[in-house]
Amino acid sequence: MATDLAPPPVKAVPDPERGPARVPIRTALLRYRWLYLMLVPGLAYFVVFKYLPMYGLTIAFQDFVPFLGYSGSEWVGFKHFEELFTGPDFGRLLSNTLILALLTVIFVFPAPIIVALMLNELRVSVLKRSIQSLIYIPHFLSWTIVASLTYLLFAVDFGVIANFIHEVFGGPRTDYVAQADWFRPIIIMQTLWKSTGWGTIIYLAALASVDPNLYEAARMDGAGRRRQFWHITLPAIRPTIVVMAILTSGNLLDASFEQIWLMTNSLNRSVADVFDSYVYYIGITQGAFSYSTAVGLFKGLAGVVLIFGSNWLAKRLGQRGLF
Amino acid sequence: MNTTPRRLLAGTVALATALLASACGSDDGGGGQSAGNELTMMVPLFGTAPDPGGEVHKAVEKVVGKKLKITWVPNAEYQDKTNVTLASDTIPQVMVIQGKIPSFVQAAQAGAFWELTDKLDKYPNLKAKSEQAERNASINGKVYGIYRVRPLLRSAVLYRKDWLDKLDLKVPETVDELYEVAKAFTEKDPDGNGKKDTYGLIIPKWPTPVFCSSSPYNVVETWFGAPNCYGDRGGKLVPTFDTEEFYTANRWLKKMVGEGLVNPDFATLDSGKWNDPFVQGKGGIIIDVNVRATQMYGLLKEQDPEKYGDKLAMGGNLKRSDGQKFSYPFDGYNGFLAVSKQSVRTEAELDEVLKALDRLATEEGQTLLANGIEGRNFKLENGFDVPIGDDDPAVKTINNDVDFAFIQLGTWATIGMGVYDAMPASEAEQENLKLRKELVELDLQTAVNNPTLPIVSPTYVSKGATLDPIVSDARVKYLAGEITEEQLRAEVERWHESGGDQVIAEINDLHAKLGGS
Repeated sequence: MATDLAPPPVKAVPDPERGPARVPIRTALLRYRWLYLMLVPGLAYFVVFKYLPMYGLTIAFQDFVPFLGYSGSEWVGFKHFEELFTGPDFGRLLSNTLILALLTVIFVFPAPIIVALMLNELRVSVLKRSIQSLIYIPHFLSWTIVASLTYLLFAVDFGVIANFIHEVFGGPRTDYVAQADWFRPIIIMQTLWKSTGWGTIIYLAALASVDPNLYEAARMDGAGRRRQFWHITLPAIRPTIVVMAILTSGNLLDASFEQIWLMTNSLNRSVADVFDSYVYYIGITQGAFSYSTAVGLFKGLAGVVLIFGSNWLAKRLGQRGLF
Repeated sequence: MNTTPRRLLAGTVALATALLASACGSDDGGGGQSAGNELTMMVPLFGTAPDPGGEVHKAVEKVVGKKLKITWVPNAEYQDKTNVTLASDTIPQVMVIQGKIPSFVQAAQAGAFWELTDKLDKYPNLKAKSEQAERNASINGKVYGIYRVRPLLRSAVLYRKDWLDKLDLKVPETVDELYEVAKAFTEKDPDGNGKKDTYGLIIPKWPTPVFCSSSPYNVVETWFGAPNCYGDRGGKLVPTFDTEEFYTANRWLKKMVGEGLVNPDFATLDSGKWNDPFVQGKGGIIIDVNVRATQMYGLLKEQDPEKYGDKLAMGGNLKRSDGQKFSYPFDGYNGFLAVSKQSVRTEAELDEVLKALDRLATEEGQTLLANGIEGRNFKLENGFDVPIGDDDPAVKTINNDVDFAFIQLGTWATIGMGVYDAMPASEAEQENLKLRKELVELDLQTAVNNPTLPIVSPTYVSKGATLDPIVSDARVKYLAGEITEEQLRAEVERWHESGGDQVIAEINDLHAKLGGS
């Protein structure tokens, strides 16, 4: 790809143990100046929008009052964290967030892989392509629309799904979106509907790059469809799956805020409250800036632990990790 | 990795930071908002934002005598935006604060807003018209804003009149009669389509988990004799859910829900669609505010321009079974106009701003905010506001600017309390307006006041957001039949243990300090 830009090979003795030999920094800077220059906007973006704002995290350790500012507000140490861990909400938030994360891993993560593999087996390319386009359309709808559709489908007196359940299984008409037991299934179904098609794109790309010669060779050796799938297709996309798994794990705790906020009500709040919706409710609508920052910071740290954990696990299982 | 790229990274970071710092530096000192003849404001908006060059805006500027720079914020996100604005460094000079939300209380107590106690009396039009309302709007007796008046009693019950007539029922006077009407609306096919597809009472998902928030639940509990939010029981102020009347009221409601007399989606029905089942003929009773009748007449008229007047009946607060009556009053105000200390720095500047607001609070100013421009969008007839020129797009703009935007700045004139009442369009509406006034007079005699309105407990400010949902969610769960009364009582106990006891103690303390009553 970038071979045109690649600099002439460095004249130094390569040491297989330590990778490429060291080059004095000035030489390196000078030699690769254009490449480094191209790096600057990206770095600046991360510094300005991701790292500098972290200064604001200090308010998690203060009783922050905006009028008094960062310097004027009183420092309170770990008070807000103590309040969070000993408060009545923590257990519920943690278990709700983790259960949703677990359900996501079990149902949502494999879905695009399965669909991609199924699409890959389709031989009529027009059909394959049109199905692919159709199933990723929902990705472009906002959660607000998805939530409204859900409310309509489950509406007590005229919802299509509610009617269907009522007709087929009988029983009294119920307001499914209000029930705690239905909250998680509905959330997972919404996510599946919205994100599966979009997720297949990356796997289909990985599948497309598999060398057809491999299949041909396997067929010559008498491998059937199933064997080809098991020994060629799956190993070919395994690295992609691992990388996606590690990337996903960092976002696991970011249970989609908008989606959950839109589906919450008094009856299902006990299972619906997750860290993100709680931070919004406490911080933005109630103005408890310090406390909600503490909650958010805790969630962020837990996310970092998850990323490193799954990376470690991937390496442990003999896969190449991300870092 | 080895050290080379890392050092490089550090260098780049330093460079970027330096660039950023210099970029910010040039902007410094730009916070000066009090630029001479300009008044900056943040105001809630219920429609589309008025054009700053529009007729109403210009007229208001003329009255105020200053150039207005108004940030209009859609009402649905007003509280979020208020919080975010309070956390920013560009606070407008005058902000409409929609209630004593925690972030405002904290900011005010930290000195971010001018305390106006005893200051307003100097300005003839800002002087409180009701001491009680001003006190209610204060934070523990300290006034931080010019309150925006609302009628002191607004609770009322709306019924489908055509259904009442068909089933030969009359507007209920007691809760038992209300139950009977709801039952008849559900079971006796009031719409005459031969199907059992109607219900009695319509309750929406209440938009806030805040416990005392004028919800239909609050109103019904008061009817049964429970305190309005807090009440004196044995010389001590206790929250409403510590009284037996609270449970009696909810048992009654639960019975209605259980028998299918309430809309089955009462936990999820969007409060913005509260009118729909009523208009569509699915449900027949709404417990809310009397001004909803005006809205409802409009909607019914769209559906049936001929006979819409026969479809709506209204009743006041209800007596409980033993004949005693307790009516639910409102706070008498809805938020206030607060003046920022950050953008209005000196007493002299404050005087300037208050003088401007005083000019806005003249009869001329309030008419402009609540009715519009006389001779342009309305004319006076027997002291009534009669709309004119409805078909003219320019007049439509004026109406929109007034009704959905500028009326929010009214301090003693407001929705339903304009300087001039709107002329009712039909006889039915005229009757309704008369009835409304009669019912208000009648119900005021039995109003159960909330003694804690001026009181802000510090624990509630810091923990209210986690405390409130405990009981309000448990109540909905109980009504839906998901938990038993014992479990509801256990949740109330949990409220006490999670900090509620502290809130009660503080409220009693502050109440005593404010001199009781």
